[in-house]
Parts: sequence; structure tokens; C-alpha cells
Amino acid sequence: MRAFFDLWDQVPVALQDVLLMCVLLAPAVVAGIVVMRGYRPLQLVGAMLWRYRWTNALFVALIAVSVGIGVGLIAQERGLRKGTARAAEKFDLVVSAPGSEVQMLLAAVYLQPVDVPLIDGPTWEKIATHENVALAAPIAYGDSFGASPIIGTTAPFVTHLAGELAGGRMFASLNEAVAGARAPLGVGDTFTPAHGIGDSAESDAHAGHSLTVVGRMPATGSPWDKAILVPVESVWSVHGLASGHAPGDDRIGPPFDPAFFPGTPAVLVRADQLWANYALRSEFTSERTMAFFPGAVLASLHAMLGDVRQVMSVMAVLTQVLVAAGVLAGLVVLTRLYARRLALLRALGAPDRFVFAVVWCYAAALISAGAVLGVAVGLLAVEAISRVVTARTDILVEASLAWPEFHLVAGFVSLTVLLALLPAFNAVSRNIITDLRG
Amino acid sequence: MNRRTLLIGVGAGLVATRAAAEEVVNMRDLYNKDLSFSDYAKARAGQRIAASGFMAPPLKAESSFFVLTKKPMAVCPFCDTEADWPDDILAIYTKRTVEVIAFNVQIVVRGALELGTWTDPELGFVSRVRLTDATYERA
Amino acid sequence: MSIPHLRVRDLTVTGDGGRLLLSVNALDIAPGSRIGIRGPSGAGKSTLLHAIAGLVRAASGAVRWGEADLAAMNDAERARFRREHVGLIFQDFLLFEELSAAGNAALAAAFSASSRRGAIRAGADAMLGHLGLSDHSKRSVSTFSGGERQRVAVSRALAGDPAIILADEPTASLDRAAADRLIDDLAKLASDRGKTLVAVSHDAALHARMDRVLDVVDGVLVAGA
Repeated sequence: MRAFFDLWDQVPVALQDVLLMCVLLAPAVVAGIVVMRGYRPLQLVGAMLWRYRWTNALFVALIAVSVGIGVGLIAQERGLRKGTARAAEKFDLVVSAPGSEVQMLLAAVYLQPVDVPLIDGPTWEKIATHENVALAAPIAYGDSFGASPIIGTTAPFVTHLAGELAGGRMFASLNEAVAGARAPLGVGDTFTPAHGIGDSAESDAHAGHSLTVVGRMPATGSPWDKAILVPVESVWSVHGLASGHAPGDDRIGPPFDPAFFPGTPAVLVRADQLWANYALRSEFTSERTMAFFPGAVLASLHAMLGDVRQVMSVMAVLTQVLVAAGVLAGLVVLTRLYARRLALLRALGAPDRFVFAVVWCYAAALISAGAVLGVAVGLLAVEAISRVVTARTDILVEASLAWPEFHLVAGFVSLTVLLALLPAFNAVSRNIITDLRG
Repeated sequence: MNRRTLLIGVGAGLVATRAAAEEVVNMRDLYNKDLSFSDYAKARAGQRIAASGFMAPPLKAESSFFVLTKKPMAVCPFCDTEADWPDDILAIYTKRTVEVIAFNVQIVVRGALELGTWTDPELGFVSRVRLTDATYERA
Repeated sequence: MSIPHLRVRDLTVTGDGGRLLLSVNALDIAPGSRIGIRGPSGAGKSTLLHAIAGLVRAASGAVRWGEADLAAMNDAERARFRREHVGLIFQDFLLFEELSAAGNAALAAAFSASSRRGAIRAGADAMLGHLGLSDHSKRSVSTFSGGERQRVAVSRALAGDPAIILADEPTASLDRAAADRLIDDLAKLASDRGKTLVAVSHDAALHARMDRVLDVVDGVLVAGA
């Protein structure tokens, strides 16, 4: 047995998926071959399907909807996980004032601001000058323009986040900004930041300060696509704070002078050494600061989601089984509609196994059609829900069906076509003469 | 009925048998005192081995990479220093997307042993020893 | 198989709860003869037909077609006997409405041994042609008149070239003209091809074309011989 598992572990993932699919479908295929061997029932099955086409269509639709919901749920959950993970992937380690990791994750990564104490100059200095830190950047949120949050940061962070700019150039002075791909401002547009975000924003609090967009980021699939990024000195300046540099020094960008560093709610830290990330997290978890991996927080949220998914999967499977059971009970009733024709076949000398094959093929056709249609339903549902979620959260969710869904459908098909043997048995155990009289 | 549940259903008992029967590598056995690779490690390079340990909180969600630590990786102000790192951790590149297991639950990882410094092109992390194409389960 | 001689001896057929439905002391039908069965409704005519078709199991006695005793066979064996040697025709045709005339006539090809499929299809086409339906063989039978439908049913019964044709009220659902044509077709087919024909019917016109007519009254074959 161990040899089998070791062998299985060495099989490439794609092949594992294909093999598993085959294993899951095998019962259905084997049953089909065994049941149909030596006979040609398909023409008759076609005739039966056509005779009660609306009833049959209803059955197929029921199966399709239940399969579609199950498949859609699983795909959507995975799409959400992938989308949120991609939106967070540039954020290796975030340092902030002690508080809630989840809140800070929402604030710093997904730009859902929360009011927290600031990281002060000496702490910043300690982070920025740490030998293992490759990149440290302030994430100073709080202002907005319309629905776009304005984030004060540094040029290296913009490059880290989005890579090469899609247009224009990097901000180079206090009055310049780089817009996200979906921000409502183009290169050359001028705007005045509002204090705060959302309905409570005070649009005239920063009157007199006007900034010009000089560059545009490519799409990142995260809420940052809506954001407007400015030099952190600009945020400090519109709030009347120190500039981060000694008086007379008009540079923007790091290094900042800790004595004139007004503070930032969060700092993004990146280390190139794997172990250093863990070490830095440990080092900056102190009385004054909290350090966390957004990815780890997200992963634990996902793990929780995963538990919910398990429950949802069980529920989805249960619904599917219930629907299948309903459909099979319906099939027993349906086979009564066909009872006279089936009795005729037996009167003409058709072997029981042939009649069995006709009923089973008929059921299998409904189930298979429902399953295939269900995949289509799931695909459409996932497409639609993803669009809504993306629009609402600005997190690009690209859910699509993948192997787990196909495995689920294959398992469902196999299970139900095996269950469909029951109505088939029922059909051949009826009395020929009684049924023949109609 | 996802794949995991299914496989657990099919193979729960068998997995237990397997775990009991195989040789599980101790991470320290992969190094000599001077942090060069041990003969033991060299002899098994490229082969699939099993190692037990704990899953450090992953740096990224939905990745296929995690760090296997010898001791549970809580936030421990006394032990997370550089000195402990090289021979106490193993970089794991998994076959499928990592499903997080709590940092204090012992797991067994099976994968192909790779030696030598390598920089992850996507994550940018440098590792000296890795298990690739790995699968893992609760010990 | 050569056309067998039917010998029924001491046959009883019982219904639910052991109620006696039919008893036949002795019935002999010579190969190639045409036999009518008549009697009041519920007297057991159809049960007799079902018994010699092997559709119902005899409670006692023997139903021997040549060497084959249907009373001693199980369901599967009797089904095989019907498949190979019996053509059945019913009062209300019992066609598959969604299939073409050819599809209905060659129905047995779907469940017969692959070696016989070709012969059954050819036989079905030939019968449809013989009965004047070859121009319509691809049409769905749902568009057919009653007479046409029964001719399709006759084609189905004879497609496999069975030695025995059993008909249960074949003309009862037809108008007079269609009924007369059907009687003519059936009688000719049976005599030209040397089939044994047994037809349960109220129809005097059908009785007139038979070699012999038997009466079943109160579950008993009266004019047996």
C-alpha cells in the first residue's frame, strides 16, 4: 500500500487529476458497458426521451440546477481565495501599532481604513535601517478623492506594487501623484484631496492643496487599482505636519529623518532572505509595534473559509443527493408512464436485461444531461457572481471551473447512475399482462 | 465530496499504516556540524524522502510554498534568531496549493530532496535545501 | 425451425389468490392452421392466447409447441421462445409513436442476437413493402391511420419470420374497411407462408377466414379438439 501511495505522489498533478476523474467516472462507464452489452437500446431510449420531453426537461433542469449550485459554490470559494491572495501577494510583512491583525490587513492591503496609532520616527528608523530589510515603505492612508483612497508612500513601493508604470512617470514632487488603473483620473488631471474617506470625508479640509496626476499604474487586480498614490511627504504636508526631512531639505522619498518623521499607520517591509521574514516578524512584535504576514493572516482566514466550504460542500452534496433521490423517485413514476411499452417489449420476447438496459439508459441520459448542463449553469453562475464581487470589492475574482468541480460532477454522475439501477430493477419486476392491458 | 474528503475516505487506514512503516528524516541529519550537507543528505539528493515537523505560518496565501520547522513556530522571542535557522527549517514546495495546517500540529511531508542554493523566481526567497513536488498530512 | 404442432394438455391458469382463470383439457393445433378463438368478454380468451404465447405461467398442465413445453420454462426461457418463434399482434397496436414505421417494424433488432439483426431489419422492410407501406417507412407512426398502424404492427410481428402468429382482437380498433383488409392480409400471410395463426376475436369476418373457431366460455375451452 505504501508503494502505491509513493507511486501516486510521484504522478504529476495534471495526471493525478485525470486519473482521479477516470476512477470517479469508471463506475458509471462500467455499469453502462455491463448493462448495454449485446443490445441496441439507444433508439428506443431516444423515443422515450422525446415522448415525455417536457417532463424529462424538467428533470434535467432540476439536476442541472443542483449540480450547478454545488459546482458554483466550490469554484466561487476558490476564486475568492485566489483573488484575495493575489491582491495581498505584494505585502510580505506589515508593521503597525499593536492592534488587530485582521483590521490592519483590511486597512493596509485592502484599503479599508481604520484609525490606529502611528508608527513614530525612531521605530521607522529601526525598521528602515535594519540590515535584513530590503524595502520599507510607509502606507499612509486617510485621505481620499471621490471613491479613490489617497495613499502616501514612496516611489520604490509603487514600483514594488505595480512594476513598470502603464503611462506617464513616477511622482517626483509634493504636488504629484500616480493613479491606479481604475482611478477616475488620467495623467495631467488635477485634484484636491478630501480629508477622510467615504461619506464623512471633508472635501474642503485640504482646500488650497492641489495635486497633479503624472503617472498611471497597470492593473494589479486589487483595491489599489482605485487608489491614488502620492509621496508620503504630500500627505504630511496637507495635514500641516513635518516633512519627514530636516527643514530646508526639499527632497521627497527615503531616507527620512526620524526627528521630523510625523508617523505612518503602517509600514510595508520586505526581506529577501526567507528566514529574515520570520526573524523580522519576531523582532518587530513588541510593545510598540505589531508585525504580521498578511498572507498568513489571510491563509488563516481562508482556513476558516475552508471549514465553511467543507460544510457548504457537504450541504451541496446533500442537496444533490436529495435532488437525485427525488429524480429517481420520479423515474419510478415515469417508468409507469412507459409501463405499457416496456411490457410490450417483454411480450415481444425482449430479455429482462434489455428492458433493464432501456430504463437505465433513459435514467443515465437524464442524469448525464443534467450534469453536463449543471456544469454550464455553474460556469454562468460563477461568471456572474465573480463580476459582482469584483465590482463591489475591487478585488479581481476570476473564478472558473477546475478539476475539483469536475471530480464532484463525475462522482455525482457515478453515484446516481448506480442508484438508477433501482428504478430499472423496479421496471422489470412488474407484471407483463397487467401492464400490457394499460 | 471534494478530493481530499474522498481520498481520506478511501485511504484513511492505509495512510496510517504507511506513516508507521517509513523512515522519517530528522532535519538535522541533513547537515554536518559545519553546515555542509551530510553524506546522508547527499546520498538521498533527488530521491523522495519523508520529513516531519511543523508548518510555519505561510508567508503567502494560496501559494505552493511553506516552511517546515522543527519546533512549532509560535511567536517566540527567544528562539527565532538567525543562528537557529539553517538546520531547523526546510523549504517545502508542494504539489498542490497549500491548505494551511496550524503551526502547532505535527505534519509529515514527503517530497523530492533538492540540495544547493536556489532563489525562488516568484517569491524571491533563497533556500539551501528543499523538498519539491511535496505532499503533506497530519502525522 | 419447422413449424411446430401445438399440444395443450390439462392446462390451468390461475390469477390473483389462486382463482381459476382458465382450464383446457386438451387442445391440438396442427402446423400451418388458422384458428379463431371467440367467447364472451372476460371468458378467458385472452388468457388462453397468453398461455399459448407463454406470457402467463401455467399453474398446471403442459403447453407444448413441438418439443418445447412452455409450462415447464422459466420467464427468461419463455421470453426467448417468443423472441424466436412468436409474432404478436394487439388490439391497439402498441407502437412506439416516436419511432418511424421501419423503426417499429424492426423493433426486435434492438434486443435480438447480433446475427439476427440484419435479417429482422430486412424482414421488417419486406413486410412493410408487402403491406403497401414502403413509401411511408421513414415517417413517424404517430401520423398513421389505424389501419396503417395495425399493418405496421403486423410487419413487426412477422419481421423475424416467426412460425407462430398470435393476434389479440386485431380488428377491434379498426373501421370495417381497414378490418377487412387486415383480415385478408393476415389470412393470406399465414397461408402463403405456412404460419400457424391463432387470433382471439369477436369479428365474424375474421372467423370466416379461419380453418377452425374455438369457443371459450367461463374459463373453459368448449369446442376443443
